[in-house]
Amino acid sequence: MASPAKLSHTAAMILQAIDAGLVYGFSIMETTGLPSGTVYPAMRRLERDKLICSRWERQSIADAEQRPPRKYYKLTSAGAEALQASRSRYPLLERMIPLAEEKAL
Amino acid sequence: MTPRCEPVFRAIDHGLLCCASYLVPERQRAEWRREWKSELWHARQSSSVSSTISWRSEREIAGFCMGAFQDAACLRRFWWQSRRRSAPLHGSAAQCILWLGCLLLVSYGASRLLPRVHMEQDFSSSQALPGTILIQDEAVQYGSIPTMAIDQVRLWQRSSQRYADGFAFYRVTREPVELGPDPDIWRVAEASSNLFAVAGWPLRYAAPQQPNTHDDLPRLVLSLRTWRQQFAADPYVVGTVLRIGAHPARVVGIAPADAWRLPGKADAWLLEPDSAMGRNGLGYVIAHLTRSGRAAMWNGAVRITSYDSRKLEHDFLGKSFEEHAPAPTDIYWFGILLALLALPALATVSLAEYSFTSHKPSRMRRAVRLGFLSLKIVAILWIAYFGSIDLAYWHFPVLSPSGTYIQLAASFAICLFGMRWALLDQRQRCPVCLRRVTHPANVGLVSRMFLAWSGTELICEGGHTLLHVPGLPTSWFGAQRWMLLDSSWDFLFAG
Repeated sequence: MASPAKLSHTAAMILQAIDAGLVYGFSIMETTGLPSGTVYPAMRRLERDKLICSRWERQSIADAEQRPPRKYYKLTSAGAEALQASRSRYPLLERMIPLAEEKAL
Repeated sequence: MTPRCEPVFRAIDHGLLCCASYLVPERQRAEWRREWKSELWHARQSSSVSSTISWRSEREIAGFCMGAFQDAACLRRFWWQSRRRSAPLHGSAAQCILWLGCLLLVSYGASRLLPRVHMEQDFSSSQALPGTILIQDEAVQYGSIPTMAIDQVRLWQRSSQRYADGFAFYRVTREPVELGPDPDIWRVAEASSNLFAVAGWPLRYAAPQQPNTHDDLPRLVLSLRTWRQQFAADPYVVGTVLRIGAHPARVVGIAPADAWRLPGKADAWLLEPDSAMGRNGLGYVIAHLTRSGRAAMWNGAVRITSYDSRKLEHDFLGKSFEEHAPAPTDIYWFGILLALLALPALATVSLAEYSFTSHKPSRMRRAVRLGFLSLKIVAILWIAYFGSIDLAYWHFPVLSPSGTYIQLAASFAICLFGMRWALLDQRQRCPVCLRRVTHPANVGLVSRMFLAWSGTELICEGGHTLLHVPGLPTSWFGAQRWMLLDSSWDFLFAG
Protein backbone atom coordinates (compact mmCIF):
# COMPACT_ATOMS: atom_id res chain seq x y z
CA MET A 1 0.00 0.00 0.00
CA ALA A 2 1.25 3.46 -0.78
CA SER A 3 2.30 5.54 2.23
CA PRO A 4 0.05 8.54 3.02
CA ALA A 5 1.16 11.83 1.52
CA LYS A 6 3.29 14.07 3.71
CA LEU A 7 1.34 17.20 4.55
CA SER A 8 2.59 20.68 5.28
CA HIS A 9 1.99 22.06 8.75
CA THR A 10 -0.79 24.32 7.47
CA ALA A 11 -2.58 21.44 5.73
CA ALA A 12 -2.21 19.29 8.85
CA MET A 13 -3.69 22.08 11.00
CA ILE A 14 -6.65 22.39 8.68
CA LEU A 15 -7.23 18.64 8.68
CA GLN A 16 -7.00 18.62 12.47
CA ALA A 17 -9.52 21.49 12.63
CA ILE A 18 -11.93 19.62 10.37
CA ASP A 19 -11.49 16.48 12.45
CA ALA A 20 -12.19 18.53 15.56
CA GLY A 21 -15.62 19.31 14.18
CA LEU A 22 -15.00 22.82 12.92
CA VAL A 23 -16.28 22.19 9.49
CA TYR A 24 -16.83 25.35 7.46
CA GLY A 25 -14.21 27.73 6.13
CA PHE A 26 -14.54 30.68 8.48
CA SER A 27 -14.66 28.50 11.59
CA ILE A 28 -11.44 26.79 10.48
CA MET A 29 -9.89 30.20 9.92
CA GLU A 30 -10.81 31.36 13.40
CA THR A 31 -9.54 28.23 15.08
CA THR A 32 -6.25 27.96 13.26
CA GLY A 33 -5.62 31.72 13.20
CA LEU A 34 -4.57 31.46 9.56
CA PRO A 35 -5.63 34.17 7.08
CA SER A 36 -8.33 33.54 4.50
CA GLY A 37 -5.77 33.67 1.67
CA THR A 38 -4.06 30.62 3.19
CA VAL A 39 -6.99 28.58 4.51
CA TYR A 40 -9.23 28.50 1.45
CA PRO A 41 -6.55 27.64 -1.16
CA ALA A 42 -5.22 24.95 1.21
CA MET A 43 -8.72 23.49 1.51
CA ARG A 44 -9.04 23.48 -2.30
CA ARG A 45 -5.82 21.50 -2.54
CA LEU A 46 -6.94 19.06 0.12
CA GLU A 47 -10.26 18.60 -1.66
CA ARG A 48 -8.49 18.10 -4.99
CA ASP A 49 -6.27 15.45 -3.40
CA LYS A 50 -9.43 13.80 -2.01
CA LEU A 51 -8.34 14.20 1.61
CA ILE A 52 -11.50 16.14 2.43
CA CYS A 53 -14.91 16.39 0.79
CA SER A 54 -17.60 19.04 0.97
CA ARG A 55 -21.38 19.29 0.96
CA TRP A 56 -23.84 22.17 1.22
CA GLU A 57 -26.05 22.50 4.23
CA ARG A 58 -29.80 22.17 3.64
CA GLN A 59 -31.49 25.52 3.01
CA SER A 60 -34.20 24.80 5.58
CA ILE A 61 -31.63 24.50 8.38
CA ALA A 62 -29.98 27.76 7.35
CA ASP A 63 -33.37 29.49 7.11
CA ALA A 64 -34.29 28.28 10.57
CA GLU A 65 -31.12 29.84 11.97
CA GLN A 66 -31.57 32.98 9.82
CA ARG A 67 -28.19 32.81 8.07
CA PRO A 68 -26.89 31.76 4.66
CA PRO A 69 -26.25 28.03 4.17
CA ARG A 70 -22.75 26.80 4.97
CA LYS A 71 -20.50 24.59 2.95
CA TYR A 72 -19.35 21.86 5.31
CA TYR A 73 -16.12 19.90 4.97
CA LYS A 74 -15.32 16.48 6.37
CA LEU A 75 -12.36 14.12 6.25
CA THR A 76 -12.28 11.23 3.82
CA SER A 77 -10.68 7.96 4.83
CA ALA A 78 -7.50 8.98 2.99
CA GLY A 79 -7.60 12.30 4.85
CA ALA A 80 -7.98 10.55 8.18
CA GLU A 81 -4.94 8.40 7.38
CA ALA A 82 -2.93 11.41 6.32
CA LEU A 83 -3.89 13.23 9.51
CA GLN A 84 -2.89 10.26 11.62
CA ALA A 85 0.53 10.26 9.97
CA SER A 86 0.81 14.01 10.46
CA ARG A 87 0.06 13.81 14.14
CA SER A 88 3.21 11.78 14.68
CA ARG A 89 5.11 14.25 12.53
CA TYR A 90 3.71 17.33 14.30
CA PRO A 91 3.16 16.25 17.94
CA LEU A 92 1.81 19.65 19.03
CA LEU A 93 -1.03 19.51 16.55
CA GLU A 94 -3.51 17.93 18.94
CA ARG A 95 -2.63 20.40 21.68
CA MET A 96 -3.15 23.35 19.39
CA ILE A 97 -6.54 22.15 18.16
CA PRO A 98 -8.03 19.64 20.57
CA LEU A 99 -10.75 17.31 19.34
CA ALA A 100 -14.37 17.93 20.36
CA GLU A 101 -14.54 15.04 22.82
CA GLU A 102 -11.28 16.15 24.44
CA LYS A 103 -12.74 19.63 24.84
CA ALA A 104 -15.83 18.19 26.52
CA LEU A 105 -13.64 16.46 29.10
CA MET B 1 -17.79 55.14 11.69
CA THR B 2 -21.30 56.40 11.09
CA PRO B 3 -24.06 53.93 10.15
CA ARG B 4 -24.25 55.71 6.80
CA CYS B 5 -20.84 54.32 5.86
CA GLU B 6 -21.80 50.69 6.42
CA PRO B 7 -23.52 50.09 3.06
CA VAL B 8 -20.46 51.56 1.36
CA PHE B 9 -18.16 49.05 3.04
CA ARG B 10 -20.57 46.23 2.27
CA ALA B 11 -20.59 47.29 -1.35
CA ILE B 12 -16.77 47.41 -1.40
CA ASP B 13 -16.55 43.91 0.10
CA HIS B 14 -19.06 42.54 -2.39
CA GLY B 15 -17.22 44.31 -5.21
CA LEU B 16 -13.95 42.67 -4.15
CA LEU B 17 -15.58 39.25 -4.12
CA CYS B 18 -17.19 39.94 -7.47
CA CYS B 19 -13.85 40.96 -9.01
CA ALA B 20 -12.10 37.92 -7.56
CA SER B 21 -14.83 35.63 -8.89
CA TYR B 22 -13.82 36.44 -12.45
CA LEU B 23 -10.54 34.63 -11.81
CA VAL B 24 -12.47 31.46 -10.99
CA PRO B 25 -13.23 29.16 -13.94
CA GLU B 26 -16.74 29.83 -15.19
CA ARG B 27 -18.09 26.40 -14.31
CA GLN B 28 -17.21 26.82 -10.61
CA ARG B 29 -17.94 30.54 -10.37
CA ALA B 30 -21.54 30.43 -9.10
CA GLU B 31 -20.77 27.97 -6.30
CA TRP B 32 -17.61 29.84 -5.39
CA ARG B 33 -19.55 33.12 -5.04
CA ARG B 34 -22.19 31.40 -2.94
CA GLU B 35 -19.59 30.00 -0.55
CA TRP B 36 -17.69 33.28 -0.19
CA LYS B 37 -20.87 35.27 0.38
CA SER B 38 -21.80 32.85 3.11
CA GLU B 39 -18.32 33.06 4.63
CA LEU B 40 -18.40 36.87 4.41
CA TRP B 41 -21.67 36.85 6.35
CA HIS B 42 -19.99 34.84 9.10
CA ALA B 43 -16.93 37.07 9.07
CA ARG B 44 -19.12 40.15 9.40
CA GLN B 45 -21.15 38.59 12.21
CA SER B 46 -17.99 37.64 14.02
CA SER B 47 -16.44 41.09 13.72
CA SER B 48 -19.61 42.90 14.78
CA VAL B 49 -19.77 40.79 17.98
CA SER B 50 -16.14 40.83 19.00
CA SER B 51 -14.75 44.10 17.77
CA THR B 52 -15.57 47.48 19.22
CA ILE B 53 -13.51 49.59 16.79
CA SER B 54 -15.49 49.64 13.55
CA TRP B 55 -12.70 50.88 11.31
CA ARG B 56 -10.51 48.06 12.48
CA SER B 57 -13.24 45.48 11.93
CA GLU B 58 -13.92 46.80 8.44
CA ARG B 59 -10.22 46.54 7.65
CA GLU B 60 -10.22 42.96 8.90
CA ILE B 61 -13.22 42.13 6.72
CA ALA B 62 -11.58 43.75 3.72
CA GLY B 63 -8.45 41.68 4.45
CA PHE B 64 -10.68 38.61 4.60
CA CYS B 65 -12.12 39.50 1.19
CA MET B 66 -8.65 39.99 -0.27
CA GLY B 67 -7.98 36.35 0.53
CA ALA B 68 -10.66 35.53 -2.03
CA PHE B 69 -8.23 36.56 -4.78
CA GLN B 70 -5.69 33.97 -3.66
CA ASP B 71 -8.42 31.36 -3.46
CA ALA B 72 -9.68 32.25 -6.93
CA ALA B 73 -6.15 32.23 -8.36
CA CYS B 74 -5.62 28.79 -6.82
CA LEU B 75 -8.74 27.44 -8.57
CA ARG B 76 -7.63 29.02 -11.85
CA ARG B 77 -4.23 27.33 -11.46
CA PHE B 78 -5.88 23.96 -10.94
CA TRP B 79 -7.96 24.54 -14.03
CA TRP B 80 -4.87 25.28 -16.11
CA GLN B 81 -3.10 22.24 -14.74
CA SER B 82 -6.04 19.97 -15.52
CA ARG B 83 -6.30 21.44 -19.00
CA ARG B 84 -2.63 20.86 -19.64
CA ARG B 85 -2.91 17.28 -18.44
CA SER B 86 -6.01 16.58 -20.48
CA ALA B 87 -4.82 18.29 -23.66
CA PRO B 88 -3.24 15.61 -25.86
CA LEU B 89 -1.79 18.28 -28.15
CA HIS B 90 -0.02 20.20 -25.43
CA GLY B 91 3.58 20.87 -26.38
CA SER B 92 3.33 18.72 -29.49
CA ALA B 93 4.50 19.59 -32.99
CA ALA B 94 0.87 19.60 -34.15
CA GLN B 95 -0.03 22.25 -31.57
CA CYS B 96 2.89 24.41 -32.68
CA ILE B 97 1.86 24.13 -36.33
CA LEU B 98 -1.75 24.85 -35.36
CA TRP B 99 -0.74 28.06 -33.57
CA LEU B 100 1.42 29.20 -36.46
CA GLY B 101 -1.43 28.38 -38.86
CA CYS B 102 -3.84 30.45 -36.77
CA LEU B 103 -1.43 33.40 -36.71
CA LEU B 104 -0.96 33.13 -40.45
CA LEU B 105 -4.71 32.99 -40.98
CA VAL B 106 -5.26 36.05 -38.78
CA SER B 107 -2.56 38.10 -40.51
CA TYR B 108 -3.80 37.04 -43.95
CA GLY B 109 -7.43 37.73 -42.98
CA ALA B 110 -6.49 41.18 -41.70
CA SER B 111 -4.69 41.95 -44.94
CA ARG B 112 -7.86 41.09 -46.87
CA LEU B 113 -10.28 42.86 -44.53
CA LEU B 114 -8.45 46.08 -43.60
CA PRO B 115 -9.47 48.50 -46.34
CA ARG B 116 -6.17 50.34 -46.66
CA VAL B 117 -4.18 47.11 -46.68
CA HIS B 118 -6.51 45.75 -49.29
CA MET B 119 -5.75 48.84 -51.33
CA GLU B 120 -2.07 48.04 -51.00
CA GLN B 121 -2.76 44.73 -52.67
CA ASP B 122 -4.57 46.59 -55.39
CA PHE B 123 -1.44 48.64 -55.70
CA SER B 124 0.68 45.50 -56.06
CA SER B 125 -1.56 44.37 -58.88
CA SER B 126 -1.55 47.83 -60.40
CA GLN B 127 2.19 48.21 -60.67
CA ALA B 128 3.21 49.85 -63.88
CA LEU B 129 4.11 47.53 -66.72
CA PRO B 130 7.79 46.66 -66.77
CA GLY B 131 9.62 48.98 -69.08
CA THR B 132 7.35 51.97 -68.60
CA ILE B 133 9.33 55.20 -68.46
CA LEU B 134 8.74 58.86 -67.82
CA ILE B 135 10.36 60.99 -70.54
CA GLN B 136 11.62 64.46 -69.75
CA ASP B 137 13.97 66.99 -71.16
CA GLU B 138 17.50 65.98 -70.26
CA ALA B 139 18.32 69.49 -69.10
CA VAL B 140 15.67 69.55 -66.38
CA GLN B 141 16.96 68.99 -62.88
CA TYR B 142 13.72 68.37 -61.06
CA GLY B 143 11.36 65.66 -62.26
CA SER B 144 8.24 67.53 -61.15
CA ILE B 145 8.63 70.34 -63.70
CA PRO B 146 6.65 69.76 -66.91
CA THR B 147 8.93 70.06 -69.93
CA MET B 148 7.29 68.16 -72.76
CA ALA B 149 5.06 69.53 -75.52
CA ILE B 150 2.26 67.57 -77.18
CA ASP B 151 3.92 68.19 -80.55
CA GLN B 152 6.88 66.05 -79.55
CA VAL B 153 4.53 63.16 -78.80
CA ARG B 154 2.78 63.59 -82.10
CA LEU B 155 6.16 63.54 -83.82
CA TRP B 156 7.13 60.29 -82.14
CA GLN B 157 3.76 58.74 -82.86
CA ARG B 158 3.96 59.58 -86.56
CA SER B 159 7.07 57.49 -87.12
CA SER B 160 7.81 53.97 -85.98
CA GLN B 161 10.09 53.89 -82.97
CA ARG B 162 12.78 51.34 -82.22
CA TYR B 163 12.82 51.80 -78.46
CA ALA B 164 9.17 52.51 -77.62
CA ASP B 165 5.85 51.06 -78.73
CA GLY B 166 3.46 53.46 -76.98
CA PHE B 167 3.41 57.09 -75.88
CA ALA B 168 0.97 59.00 -73.70
CA PHE B 169 0.93 62.67 -72.77
CA TYR B 170 -0.69 64.47 -69.85
CA ARG B 171 -0.68 67.93 -68.33
CA VAL B 172 -2.34 69.12 -65.15
CA THR B 173 -4.61 72.15 -65.07
CA ARG B 174 -7.14 73.51 -62.60
CA GLU B 175 -10.71 73.26 -63.81
CA PRO B 176 -14.06 74.08 -62.21
CA VAL B 177 -16.30 71.04 -61.79
CA GLU B 178 -20.05 71.36 -61.30
CA LEU B 179 -21.12 69.06 -58.52
CA GLY B 180 -23.56 71.29 -56.66
CA PRO B 181 -24.63 74.92 -56.58
CA ASP B 182 -21.00 76.04 -56.18
CA PRO B 183 -18.44 74.61 -58.59
CA ASP B 184 -15.40 72.87 -57.09
CA ILE B 185 -11.93 73.43 -58.43
CA TRP B 186 -10.19 70.16 -59.30
CA ARG B 187 -6.72 69.40 -60.54
CA VAL B 188 -7.57 67.74 -63.81
CA ALA B 189 -4.96 65.93 -65.86
CA GLU B 190 -5.75 66.38 -69.53
CA ALA B 191 -4.33 63.15 -70.89
CA SER B 192 -4.00 60.95 -73.96
CA SER B 193 -6.76 58.37 -74.14
CA ASN B 194 -4.18 55.54 -73.90
CA LEU B 195 -2.54 56.83 -70.68
CA PHE B 196 -3.74 54.00 -68.43
CA ALA B 197 -3.15 51.40 -71.13
CA VAL B 198 0.47 52.49 -71.61
CA ALA B 199 1.12 52.49 -67.86
CA GLY B 200 -0.69 49.16 -67.45
CA TRP B 201 -2.99 50.29 -64.63
CA PRO B 202 -6.41 48.62 -64.60
CA LEU B 203 -9.34 50.85 -63.67
CA ARG B 204 -11.73 50.08 -60.82
CA TYR B 205 -15.40 49.76 -61.70
CA ALA B 206 -14.44 50.46 -65.27
CA ALA B 207 -17.52 51.01 -67.43
CA PRO B 208 -17.66 48.44 -70.23
CA GLN B 209 -17.17 49.99 -73.64
CA GLN B 210 -20.23 49.45 -75.81
CA PRO B 211 -19.39 49.45 -79.50
CA ASN B 212 -22.97 50.34 -80.57
CA THR B 213 -23.11 53.64 -78.69
CA HIS B 214 -21.50 56.60 -80.35
CA ASP B 215 -20.49 58.53 -77.28
CA ASP B 216 -18.23 61.38 -78.30
CA LEU B 217 -17.86 62.68 -74.77
CA PRO B 218 -14.33 62.75 -73.34
CA ARG B 219 -13.75 60.03 -70.76
CA LEU B 220 -13.05 60.91 -67.14
CA VAL B 221 -11.20 58.76 -64.60
CA LEU B 222 -11.56 59.76 -60.95
CA SER B 223 -8.80 59.38 -58.40
CA LEU B 224 -9.65 57.10 -55.49
CA ARG B 225 -9.44 60.02 -53.03
CA THR B 226 -11.84 62.17 -55.07
CA TRP B 227 -14.21 59.24 -55.54
CA ARG B 228 -14.35 58.73 -51.80
CA GLN B 229 -14.47 62.35 -50.72
CA GLN B 230 -16.81 63.76 -53.36
CA PHE B 231 -18.97 60.72 -54.16
CA ALA B 232 -18.84 58.71 -50.92
CA ALA B 233 -17.31 55.77 -52.82
CA ASP B 234 -20.51 55.27 -54.79
CA PRO B 235 -19.78 52.78 -57.62
CA TYR B 236 -22.79 54.07 -59.59
CA VAL B 237 -20.95 57.31 -60.31
CA VAL B 238 -19.29 55.41 -63.15
CA GLY B 239 -21.26 56.15 -66.29
CA THR B 240 -22.56 59.55 -65.15
CA VAL B 241 -21.66 62.79 -66.91
CA LEU B 242 -19.81 65.58 -65.11
CA ARG B 243 -19.14 69.06 -66.39
CA ILE B 244 -15.39 69.75 -66.37
CA GLY B 245 -14.73 73.39 -67.19
CA ALA B 246 -16.95 74.15 -70.13
CA HIS B 247 -17.26 70.59 -71.46
CA PRO B 248 -19.12 67.51 -70.30
CA ALA B 249 -17.21 64.28 -69.67
CA ARG B 250 -18.35 60.77 -68.86
CA VAL B 251 -16.90 59.01 -65.79
CA VAL B 252 -15.48 55.70 -67.01
CA GLY B 253 -13.71 54.37 -63.94
CA ILE B 254 -11.75 54.90 -60.77
CA ALA B 255 -7.96 54.89 -60.77
CA PRO B 256 -6.31 52.17 -58.68
CA ALA B 257 -5.29 53.18 -55.16
CA ASP B 258 -2.12 55.19 -54.94
CA ALA B 259 -0.96 53.84 -58.27
CA TRP B 260 -0.21 57.30 -59.51
CA ARG B 261 3.47 57.71 -58.86
CA LEU B 262 4.14 60.21 -61.63
CA PRO B 263 4.73 63.93 -61.20
CA GLY B 264 1.65 66.14 -61.20
CA LYS B 265 -1.03 65.10 -58.72
CA ALA B 266 -4.51 65.01 -60.16
CA ASP B 267 -8.06 64.63 -58.83
CA ALA B 268 -9.24 63.27 -62.17
CA TRP B 269 -7.88 62.37 -65.59
CA LEU B 270 -9.67 63.65 -68.66
CA LEU B 271 -8.86 61.19 -71.42
CA GLU B 272 -9.14 62.43 -74.98
CA PRO B 273 -7.41 61.74 -78.30
CA ASP B 274 -4.07 63.49 -78.81
CA SER B 275 -5.50 65.25 -81.85
CA ALA B 276 -8.11 66.92 -79.66
CA MET B 277 -5.58 68.32 -77.20
CA GLY B 278 -4.50 71.92 -77.55
CA ARG B 279 -0.88 72.76 -78.32
CA ASN B 280 -0.50 75.20 -75.45
CA GLY B 281 0.99 74.11 -72.17
CA LEU B 282 3.78 71.75 -71.24
CA GLY B 283 3.22 68.38 -69.65
CA TYR B 284 4.73 64.96 -69.09
CA VAL B 285 5.19 62.00 -71.40
CA ILE B 286 5.20 58.34 -70.47
CA ALA B 287 6.21 55.61 -72.86
CA HIS B 288 6.40 51.86 -72.94
CA LEU B 289 9.74 50.49 -74.07
CA THR B 290 10.23 47.68 -76.54
CA ARG B 291 12.58 44.82 -75.77
CA SER B 292 15.49 46.62 -77.43
CA GLY B 293 14.56 49.77 -75.54
CA ARG B 294 14.72 47.88 -72.27
CA ALA B 295 18.07 46.41 -73.26
CA ALA B 296 19.37 49.93 -73.86
CA MET B 297 18.44 51.02 -70.33
CA TRP B 298 21.30 51.62 -67.98
CA ASN B 299 20.91 52.39 -64.30
CA GLY B 300 17.15 52.71 -64.67
CA ALA B 301 17.32 55.33 -67.43
CA VAL B 302 17.52 55.51 -71.19
CA ARG B 303 18.77 58.43 -73.30
CA ILE B 304 16.56 59.41 -76.24
CA THR B 305 17.64 61.67 -79.06
CA SER B 306 15.03 63.19 -81.34
CA TYR B 307 15.29 65.38 -84.43
CA ASP B 308 12.67 67.93 -85.33
CA SER B 309 11.57 69.05 -88.80
CA ARG B 310 14.56 71.41 -88.99
CA LYS B 311 16.92 68.48 -88.17
CA LEU B 312 17.74 70.00 -84.82
CA GLU B 313 18.77 67.52 -82.15
CA HIS B 314 16.88 67.29 -78.83
CA ASP B 315 18.01 65.07 -75.97
CA PHE B 316 15.55 63.49 -73.57
CA LEU B 317 15.94 61.18 -70.64
CA GLY B 318 13.53 58.33 -69.96
CA LYS B 319 13.45 57.20 -66.31
CA SER B 320 12.04 53.90 -65.21
CA PHE B 321 9.10 53.98 -62.78
CA GLU B 322 10.59 51.25 -60.63
CA GLU B 323 13.36 53.41 -59.29
CA HIS B 324 11.00 55.94 -57.70
CA ALA B 325 9.63 53.79 -54.92
CA PRO B 326 10.36 50.27 -53.79
CA ALA B 327 7.41 47.90 -53.86
CA PRO B 328 6.21 46.39 -50.55
CA THR B 329 7.66 43.00 -51.54
CA ASP B 330 11.08 44.59 -52.07
CA ILE B 331 10.90 46.18 -48.61
CA TYR B 332 9.88 42.83 -47.15
CA TRP B 333 12.82 40.99 -48.72
CA PHE B 334 15.19 43.68 -47.49
CA GLY B 335 13.75 43.24 -43.98
CA ILE B 336 14.38 39.48 -44.19
CA LEU B 337 17.94 40.05 -45.34
CA LEU B 338 18.60 42.34 -42.36
CA ALA B 339 16.98 39.82 -40.00
CA LEU B 340 19.17 37.00 -41.33
CA LEU B 341 22.25 39.14 -40.82
CA ALA B 342 21.23 40.05 -37.27
CA LEU B 343 20.09 36.56 -36.23
CA PRO B 344 23.54 35.19 -35.21
CA ALA B 345 23.82 38.05 -32.70
CA LEU B 346 20.65 36.91 -30.93
CA ALA B 347 20.79 33.14 -31.09
CA THR B 348 23.18 30.36 -31.99
CA VAL B 349 22.20 29.48 -35.52
CA SER B 350 24.06 26.18 -35.66
CA LEU B 351 22.08 23.03 -34.97
CA ALA B 352 25.27 20.98 -34.64
CA GLU B 353 25.17 21.15 -30.86
CA TYR B 354 22.84 18.17 -30.75
CA SER B 355 25.29 15.57 -29.64
CA PHE B 356 23.77 12.34 -28.47
CA THR B 357 25.47 10.52 -25.67
CA SER B 358 23.98 7.18 -26.66
CA HIS B 359 22.09 6.06 -29.79
CA LYS B 360 21.39 8.52 -32.54
CA PRO B 361 17.90 8.91 -33.98
CA SER B 362 17.33 7.41 -37.41
CA ARG B 363 17.79 9.40 -40.61
CA MET B 364 14.07 9.44 -41.11
CA ARG B 365 13.49 11.05 -37.72
CA ARG B 366 16.22 13.60 -38.38
CA ALA B 367 14.60 14.43 -41.73
CA VAL B 368 11.21 14.88 -40.04
CA ARG B 369 12.83 17.13 -37.45
CA LEU B 370 14.46 19.23 -40.17
CA GLY B 371 11.18 19.37 -42.08
CA PHE B 372 9.43 20.61 -38.95
CA LEU B 373 11.99 23.40 -38.54
CA SER B 374 11.62 24.36 -42.21
CA LEU B 375 7.83 24.44 -41.88
CA LYS B 376 8.06 26.76 -38.89
CA ILE B 377 10.42 29.10 -40.72
CA VAL B 378 8.23 29.19 -43.84
CA ALA B 379 5.16 29.96 -41.70
CA ILE B 380 7.06 32.73 -39.90
CA LEU B 381 8.13 34.28 -43.21
CA TRP B 382 4.52 34.36 -44.42
CA ILE B 383 3.32 35.75 -41.10
CA ALA B 384 6.03 38.41 -41.33
CA TYR B 385 4.90 39.32 -44.85
CA PHE B 386 1.21 39.71 -44.08
CA GLY B 387 1.82 41.03 -40.56
CA SER B 388 4.21 43.75 -41.74
CA ILE B 389 1.80 44.84 -44.47
CA ASP B 390 -1.08 44.93 -41.96
CA LEU B 391 0.91 47.01 -39.51
CA ALA B 392 2.33 49.37 -42.11
CA TYR B 393 -0.70 50.12 -44.24
CA TRP B 394 -3.73 49.89 -41.92
CA HIS B 395 -3.23 53.58 -41.22
CA PHE B 396 -0.60 54.99 -43.54
CA PRO B 397 -1.01 55.18 -47.30
CA VAL B 398 1.04 53.03 -49.62
CA LEU B 399 4.39 54.49 -50.65
CA SER B 400 4.29 57.02 -47.80
CA PRO B 401 7.63 57.17 -45.97
CA SER B 402 5.98 56.22 -42.65
CA GLY B 403 4.32 53.15 -44.16
CA THR B 404 7.58 52.07 -45.79
CA TYR B 405 9.59 52.45 -42.58
CA ILE B 406 6.97 50.64 -40.52
CA GLN B 407 6.84 47.79 -43.00
CA LEU B 408 10.61 47.47 -42.97
CA ALA B 409 10.80 47.57 -39.17
CA ALA B 410 7.89 45.13 -38.76
CA SER B 411 9.15 42.59 -41.28
CA PHE B 412 12.64 42.81 -39.75
CA ALA B 413 11.38 42.38 -36.17
CA ILE B 414 8.90 39.59 -36.94
CA CYS B 415 11.47 37.66 -38.97
CA LEU B 416 14.27 38.16 -36.46
CA PHE B 417 12.36 37.23 -33.32
CA GLY B 418 10.29 34.62 -35.12
CA MET B 419 13.33 32.78 -36.40
CA ARG B 420 15.04 33.10 -33.02
CA TRP B 421 11.96 31.50 -31.44
CA ALA B 422 11.95 28.75 -34.09
CA LEU B 423 15.57 27.86 -33.33
CA LEU B 424 15.18 27.96 -29.54
CA ASP B 425 11.97 25.94 -29.78
CA GLN B 426 13.68 23.40 -32.00
CA ARG B 427 16.41 22.85 -29.43
CA GLN B 428 13.85 21.90 -26.81
CA ARG B 429 11.95 19.40 -28.94
CA CYS B 430 12.44 15.71 -28.40
CA PRO B 431 14.22 14.31 -31.47
CA VAL B 432 11.94 11.27 -31.42
CA CYS B 433 8.40 12.67 -31.01
CA LEU B 434 9.01 16.44 -31.52
CA ARG B 435 7.24 17.27 -28.25
CA ARG B 436 8.72 19.99 -26.07
CA VAL B 437 10.69 18.60 -23.15
CA THR B 438 9.25 19.56 -19.77
CA HIS B 439 9.76 19.32 -16.00
CA PRO B 440 13.04 21.24 -15.70
CA ALA B 441 15.14 20.18 -12.73
CA ASN B 442 18.33 21.76 -11.47
CA VAL B 443 21.10 19.22 -11.10
CA GLY B 444 24.39 19.72 -9.27
CA LEU B 445 26.03 22.87 -7.97
CA VAL B 446 28.00 25.37 -9.96
CA SER B 447 30.58 25.54 -7.16
CA ARG B 448 31.30 21.83 -7.69
CA MET B 449 31.55 21.96 -11.41
CA PHE B 450 34.97 20.28 -11.40
CA LEU B 451 33.50 17.23 -9.66
CA ALA B 452 30.29 16.83 -11.63
CA TRP B 453 28.26 18.71 -14.18
CA SER B 454 25.65 21.18 -13.10
CA GLY B 455 22.77 22.53 -15.08
CA THR B 456 19.18 21.79 -15.97
CA GLU B 457 17.71 18.45 -16.88
CA LEU B 458 14.49 18.21 -18.88
CA ILE B 459 12.51 15.15 -19.84
CA CYS B 460 10.25 14.23 -22.73
CA GLU B 461 6.71 13.48 -21.52
CA GLY B 462 6.58 10.55 -23.89
CA GLY B 463 9.59 9.03 -22.15
CA HIS B 464 11.87 9.12 -25.19
CA THR B 465 14.69 11.44 -24.17
CA LEU B 466 16.43 13.42 -21.44
CA LEU B 467 17.96 16.78 -22.25
CA HIS B 468 20.96 18.03 -20.28
CA VAL B 469 21.61 21.76 -20.55
CA PRO B 470 24.82 22.86 -18.80
CA GLY B 471 24.42 25.80 -16.44
CA LEU B 472 27.92 26.99 -17.17
CA PRO B 473 29.40 25.80 -20.47
CA THR B 474 32.79 24.16 -20.00
CA SER B 475 35.32 22.63 -22.36
CA TRP B 476 33.96 19.12 -21.60
CA PHE B 477 30.28 20.07 -21.53
CA GLY B 478 29.77 23.09 -23.70
CA ALA B 479 26.47 22.39 -25.42
CA GLN B 480 23.25 20.65 -24.53
CA ARG B 481 23.12 16.89 -24.83
CA TRP B 482 20.32 14.50 -25.55
CA MET B 483 20.11 11.10 -23.94
CA LEU B 484 17.82 8.57 -25.56
CA LEU B 485 16.00 6.55 -22.90
CA ASP B 486 15.89 2.82 -23.46
CA SER B 487 13.22 0.38 -22.26
CA SER B 488 14.70 0.25 -18.74
CA TRP B 489 13.10 3.68 -18.15
CA ASP B 490 9.62 2.51 -19.10
CA PHE B 491 8.47 1.94 -15.52
CA LEU B 492 8.73 5.70 -14.90
CA PHE B 493 6.13 6.41 -17.57
CA ALA B 494 3.82 3.47 -16.91
CA GLY B 495 0.17 4.49 -16.52
